[in-house]
Amino acid sequence: MRALLVLAGLVSLLAAAAAPAALGQLAPVTPESPNAESIRDSYLFVSIFVVAIFVLVEGLLIAFVVRYRRRQRGRFEDGAEIHGSTRLELLWTAGPVIVLFLIATFVFVELPGIVDEPAAGPRGALEIRVTGRQYYWQYEYPNGVIAIDRLRAPAGVPVRLEVTAPDADVIHSWWIPALGGKIDAIPGRVNRTWFQADRPGVYRGQCAELCGAEHARMLAEVEVLPASEFDAWLGSRRAEQSAGTSPLGEELWTGVCAKCHGLAGEGGIAPRLAGSLTLADPRAVETIVRNGRRTMPAVGAGWTSEQVEALNAYLEESPPGGR
Amino acid sequence: MAGSAWQRGRVASWLVTTDHKRIGILYIGTALVFFVLAGLMALAIRLQLAQANADVLSPDRYNELVTIHGTAMVFLVVVPLLAGFGNYLVPLMIGARDVAFPRLNALSYWLFAFGGTVLMLSFFADGGAARNGWTAYPPLSVHQAGDGQDLWILSLHILSASTLAGAINFLVTIHNLRTRGMTWMRLPLFVWSIELYAWLLMAILPVLSAGLTLLLLDRGLSIGGWEVQTHFFDPAEGGAPLLYQHAFWFFGHPEVYVIVLPAFGIISEVLPVFARKPVFGYKAIAFSTVAIGFFSMLVWAHHLFTVGLPTYLQAYFMVASMVIAVPTGMKIFNWLATLWRGNVSFDSAMLYALGFLSVFVMGGLSGIYLAAFPIDWQVHDTYFVVAHFHYTLFGGVMFAIFAGLHYWWPKMFGRLLDERLGKLAFWLLFAGFNLTFFPQHLAGLEGMPRRIYTYANEGWEGYNLVSTVGSWVMGAALLVFLVNVWKTARSGRRVGHDPWRANTLEWYTTSPPPPHNFDEVPYVTSARPLDDLRRKLRERDGARALS
Repeated sequence: MRALLVLAGLVSLLAAAAAPAALGQLAPVTPESPNAESIRDSYLFVSIFVVAIFVLVEGLLIAFVVRYRRRQRGRFEDGAEIHGSTRLELLWTAGPVIVLFLIATFVFVELPGIVDEPAAGPRGALEIRVTGRQYYWQYEYPNGVIAIDRLRAPAGVPVRLEVTAPDADVIHSWWIPALGGKIDAIPGRVNRTWFQADRPGVYRGQCAELCGAEHARMLAEVEVLPASEFDAWLGSRRAEQSAGTSPLGEELWTGVCAKCHGLAGEGGIAPRLAGSLTLADPRAVETIVRNGRRTMPAVGAGWTSEQVEALNAYLEESPPGGR
Repeated sequence: MAGSAWQRGRVASWLVTTDHKRIGILYIGTALVFFVLAGLMALAIRLQLAQANADVLSPDRYNELVTIHGTAMVFLVVVPLLAGFGNYLVPLMIGARDVAFPRLNALSYWLFAFGGTVLMLSFFADGGAARNGWTAYPPLSVHQAGDGQDLWILSLHILSASTLAGAINFLVTIHNLRTRGMTWMRLPLFVWSIELYAWLLMAILPVLSAGLTLLLLDRGLSIGGWEVQTHFFDPAEGGAPLLYQHAFWFFGHPEVYVIVLPAFGIISEVLPVFARKPVFGYKAIAFSTVAIGFFSMLVWAHHLFTVGLPTYLQAYFMVASMVIAVPTGMKIFNWLATLWRGNVSFDSAMLYALGFLSVFVMGGLSGIYLAAFPIDWQVHDTYFVVAHFHYTLFGGVMFAIFAGLHYWWPKMFGRLLDERLGKLAFWLLFAGFNLTFFPQHLAGLEGMPRRIYTYANEGWEGYNLVSTVGSWVMGAALLVFLVNVWKTARSGRRVGHDPWRANTLEWYTTSPPPPHNFDEVPYVTSARPLDDLRRKLRERDGARALS
């Protein structure tokens, strides 16, 4: 019996040692931001104990089942008359307490790296307001630039997000797995999170709180650009937005309208729009997007006039489904 | 049996019965019907998710199925199955003739059947069934037009009334009707678990009812010319959507233990009988049941780690959640030690109990990640969570329930479920279960949120396909089980009153027991009264042989 216990202990220790390596694929996605990295480290630390306990318990279970199976004994022959052991009870109370203490301690040690954003360089942090709405993400930059679904951000700079949802909307949850944990976008509340991606690239995520029929299509992307490239983009986008030449109108169509009405207006869970005369009437479009209609939510309530105009300009220029 | 002639008819006698055994069987039978329905919904869900961009179900239909599948599995399947076991077993185990309030008991059952019917029929309501998840968070659940969400609330109100009446009945029964000698430290561990189940329900159901009533009022009521429109959860009018989440989870998390404690109780009864040993650490298991019940009420906000609570609150809820792991671990080690130096047989009931141990550990361990709040920020509301709670609620609770069904079937019907079919079903279920739910951990870690009706990411397709194939294997297992029930009813082996040579009082009487349960009840001298009796008989025979 003692030999068996020692063996089980050794095997689970071995498994624990191998856990972080073996779990490379069994862990959250490759982190691209310090908070995501600390979360992943915490995950791997917990995995050491999880794997050890798993191997220990399953190992003992299999060992006991094999070792103490009935074989030639009579069906109702009694096993050993053992009622319990105070020493063992203490052991398997204290053991988990120690393990959980270690895990909690590790989490608290990692916590500042997850919660606190890194010190900003000379250019400071970038602050962006993220609004979750049925079924799109709207981003507002400090200079008034508005973008839909794809958030552009500079590399190597802390990006501070204020995440919320309009009062008349529902709860959403902002999540880009490579850039950290999720945070809910709740009507009437502003939550904060941050990321800092050092490698340019596109990181994908999607809404993580059931928000209605097209919840599954409420995708989000973060495109991290080299800082200078980002600055250039933000500047030119500002100018284009004022001049009415920015791609905002197209973003609104694909991000807001097309998820239910289809990219070419062919219809989906919502009616077909291709060829609809309403689309050619800017005031009718404005009324509908601002107020909603029957089961359609007021997707454009609170839009700036720039947004409404951008959408109408896009609809005029390239009406869905062709002219 | 009393009553006029029509009340003694084959069907009518079941409709008017107040016998706890018949009510227990009605509970179990009805819950199994709902199990089949909610299981079919799960198969449809898996079919839709088998491939990326699939088109089997419309988004609204998918969300309805997810909502009703979850609600039904919790409120119409698992809780009533355990209530059924409680009904059937508690009076027998404590040597009583019936529960304290037999008519109230019948009312509980009929309310359950009615509430369940309301939920299932809500698919045909104006605007379809509720489609906002089993958690029904506002504002989404307030926005849904039509009657589905209102019927969902109505159904849960009816089911809460049913469960509350049942809980009161269990408590009064356990406290007042224990036979002579049955002290608290001689109470079967299953009865201990029902005691805590009942206390927890008394504490938490009113909070759920309050939350649901506020939701109903926020959706707006009009009775005659009387209109009510409140804004508890509407931020535009000073309300707070989070208020509902606190109320729901103050109920919802202890509810997990309401479900899991009686499942633990079943395991604590089955393991010793098939290991031919007393349960290891009776007191530790009984007290850990109390500890789990107590702590389960202090951890609800670990379901709210992503709503932006202050860090100190998240830290508290992490530590409190981890505390529950200690008494839970204690149980697992005590069950393992019960096998140690035993004489272990592998009847179907035991296979399910061992299967419970092996998968429940997995569900418990994945819970540690969820309790550590920064890790939860990553995996919350993903398929990792879906995998976690299916490992505890299906792998844990349903395996325990199947162990209980195979173990007590001969008690209830006098016939043994077919062992070959039983073992076939077990191995299919064990394989299918792991195939279905293990890959979901991986999909969640790679970023797949729960409750999405479709996905474009082809990297998730492999996991989902395996999961869907697994769901068919589970479906096949349940089919085998149903065939077994049908076959056993027709030609099952009759096996006498105590086929397992068990320890607890329900096996002292005939199988099935007479309406009044016992002609006489022995004085209880330990937690294993029948073992004491057998020993006394042996000693008497031994003395006789010597003289």
